[in-house]
Amino acid sequence: MTSQHCKSNGRKRLSLFALLFFTTIQLGFAQSIELGEELFSSNCASCHYLGPESKKLIGPGLADHTLEEYTTEWLYSWIRNSAELIASGDEAAIAVYEEYNKSAMPAFPYFSDEDLDNVLAYIEQGPAEVVVDVAEVGVDGEASATSNTMVVLVAALVMLLLFAFVLARIKNVLKEIKGQETSSLLESALIWLKQTPIVIALFCIFMLLYALGGAWDGLLTVGVQKGYQPEQPIAFSHKIHAGENGVDCNYCHSGARHSKSAGVPSANVCMNCHTYIAGESESGKEEIAKIYDAIGFDPESRTYIEGYEQKPIEWIRVHNLPDLAYFNHSQHVNVAGVECQTCHGPIEEMEVVEQYSSLTMGWCIDCHREHKVDTANAYYHDLSENWVEKYHGEDISVDKIGGLECGKCHY
Amino acid sequence: MKKVNKIVSLTLATVMATLVLQSCGAEGNHPGYEFMPNMYRSAYYDTYTENPIFENGITSQLPVQGTIPRGFVPFEYENTLEDYLKAGRALKNPIALNDKVLDEGKQLYQMFCQHCHGADGDGKGSISHPVYGGIPSYTDEVAPRRTGSSMSELKSGHIFHALTYGLNAMGPHASQLSKEERWKIVHYVHELQKGSN
Repeated sequence: MTSQHCKSNGRKRLSLFALLFFTTIQLGFAQSIELGEELFSSNCASCHYLGPESKKLIGPGLADHTLEEYTTEWLYSWIRNSAELIASGDEAAIAVYEEYNKSAMPAFPYFSDEDLDNVLAYIEQGPAEVVVDVAEVGVDGEASATSNTMVVLVAALVMLLLFAFVLARIKNVLKEIKGQETSSLLESALIWLKQTPIVIALFCIFMLLYALGGAWDGLLTVGVQKGYQPEQPIAFSHKIHAGENGVDCNYCHSGARHSKSAGVPSANVCMNCHTYIAGESESGKEEIAKIYDAIGFDPESRTYIEGYEQKPIEWIRVHNLPDLAYFNHSQHVNVAGVECQTCHGPIEEMEVVEQYSSLTMGWCIDCHREHKVDTANAYYHDLSENWVEKYHGEDISVDKIGGLECGKCHY
Repeated sequence: MKKVNKIVSLTLATVMATLVLQSCGAEGNHPGYEFMPNMYRSAYYDTYTENPIFENGITSQLPVQGTIPRGFVPFEYENTLEDYLKAGRALKNPIALNDKVLDEGKQLYQMFCQHCHGADGDGKGSISHPVYGGIPSYTDEVAPRRTGSSMSELKSGHIFHALTYGLNAMGPHASQLSKEERWKIVHYVHELQKGSN
C-alpha cells in the first residue's frame, strides 16, 4: 500500500516536472520570437525586408535562408559592429559591403546575446502572414449601408400593399354578406379613377411641377462640373494615402502654400516612399508599377535605368476654372487658413477624386460673405487696424475688405 | 376629359425634356456639357497640358542643364556618406531661432515629417508599412548612428543633409521644401531631440 502510494506519487511528480519543463520551454520559445519581432520591427525593418520574397531594401532581404551561409558568431559580430568586421578584412563582410554600394549598417553594440538570439529566431521563423485588403472591406461596408436603406423601403412598400389587399378583402367580405357584387383591388381602383379624372389631373400637375423643377436643376448643371469623377491613369487612392496613412495634403501638393496652383506632384515625390514600397496586393503592385514604368525604375535592383526615355503620367484634370476667373491657392491656404476639405470635400475618404464643390461664382461669393478675416494675421500689416476702426470691432468678413470686387477675380 | 388628356401629354413631354436636361451634369468620366465652352479650355499652354512645340510634347520642361533659378543657392555638399558627416561637422543653421521660426518649423514638420517620424519625433507615425515601422526616435540616446553618436546628438548639418538628399529609407525632400523651410524644420527637430514635448 505504502510502496504503491509512493510510486504513484513519484509518477505524479515526474509528470508534473515534465509538464513544467515543457511549458517553460514553450513559453521561453514563444517569448523569444515575440521579443525578436519587437526588436526587429524597431531596429531592422526599415532597411531589411522580411517576407515571402526576399526583396532588397537598403540592405539584403532576410527571408529565404539568406543568413544560412553565415555562422552565428559572424552574425553576432556583424550586427554589433559591421564596420569593425569590414576593417578587419573579413572576406564575407567586404563582399556584402561592396554588393550594397558601401552603405554602412548602423552598429548595435548594446544588443545582448539574448537579444541577438531572439532577433535571429524571429528572422528564421518569418513574419506571421496577415493580408487584409482594407479597400475591399471599406467598399463592402458602404454597399451594405445602402442596401440596408433599400431593404427598409421595400419592406415598407410590401407592408402598404398588404394593408390595401387586406382592406379590399374586408370590403369584399362585407359586400358578400350584403349580397352585393364584389370587385378585385385593381378593378375598383380603375373604376375610381374613371369616375374622378381630377385625380389624374392633379397627379399630372404634381408630376409637371416636379419635372419642371428637375429641368431647371438640369439647366443649372450646364458648365458646372460638380460630381466629375474621372478614372485616372493610375488608380491613386487618396483614401489610402491621406486617410489611412495620414500623409498631409501639403506633402504632395507642396505648391498649395506657395503658388496659384496646388500642383500635381511629380513622380520623384511618389518615389520618396515607393522606392521601397512596391505594393502588397496584386492591384497595388500593378498600379505602383505604372510609376516605375513612367520614370524607368527597376524595382528588383532599386536603381534607375540608364538612358530610359521617361514618359509623363497623363493625369486627368478634375477641377477646372474657366480662364475668365482667377483663383490662387496660396492666398486661401496661407492667409485665410482655409482647410483643403472646405472646398475639396472629404478627400481623405475618396478612392477616386470627385469634384465636390460646384466652383460657381455664387459658391465663391457665399464663402466670401461668411468667412471671417483674421485681423491678427501679419499678412495684413497695419491695414487690419483701420478695418477694426471702420467696422467698430464687428466681425469682418471677406466681402468687407474687397472680397466681392469684380477685379479681384476677373481681370 | 380632353383637358385631362392635354395635361397628360404636356406632363409626358416635360418629363422627357427633364430626363434629357438632367444628363447635362457631370458624372463619372463625363465632365458634363458646357454652354459656349471656349474659356474652359485655355488658348495658351497650361503647365500640365500637352505641347506640340517641344519635342517631348510636354509644357513643363526641366530647367536647362547647368542653370539654376534666380536667387537659388546650390547646396555645396554631395550626396555621400562622407559629405553627410562633413555637413554635420561644418554646417550651422543660418536662421536665427525664435518662437515664430520654431512655430513655422513645427507646422512644416507636421506637414512633411510627422506621418513617418511621429508627432513627438518618436518614430511612430501614422504610416503603417513595415519599411517605415522601424524609424528611430529623436530622443534615443543609446543606439549609435553612422555619425558615431546617437539620434539625440545629431547635429544641424546631419539633419539638413538628410532632409535634402534623404537617408536610408527616407527620400530626398529638396523638391518639396525650400532651403529656409528645411532649416526651420531642423530647429524644430532639435526641439524634439530634447524630448520635452
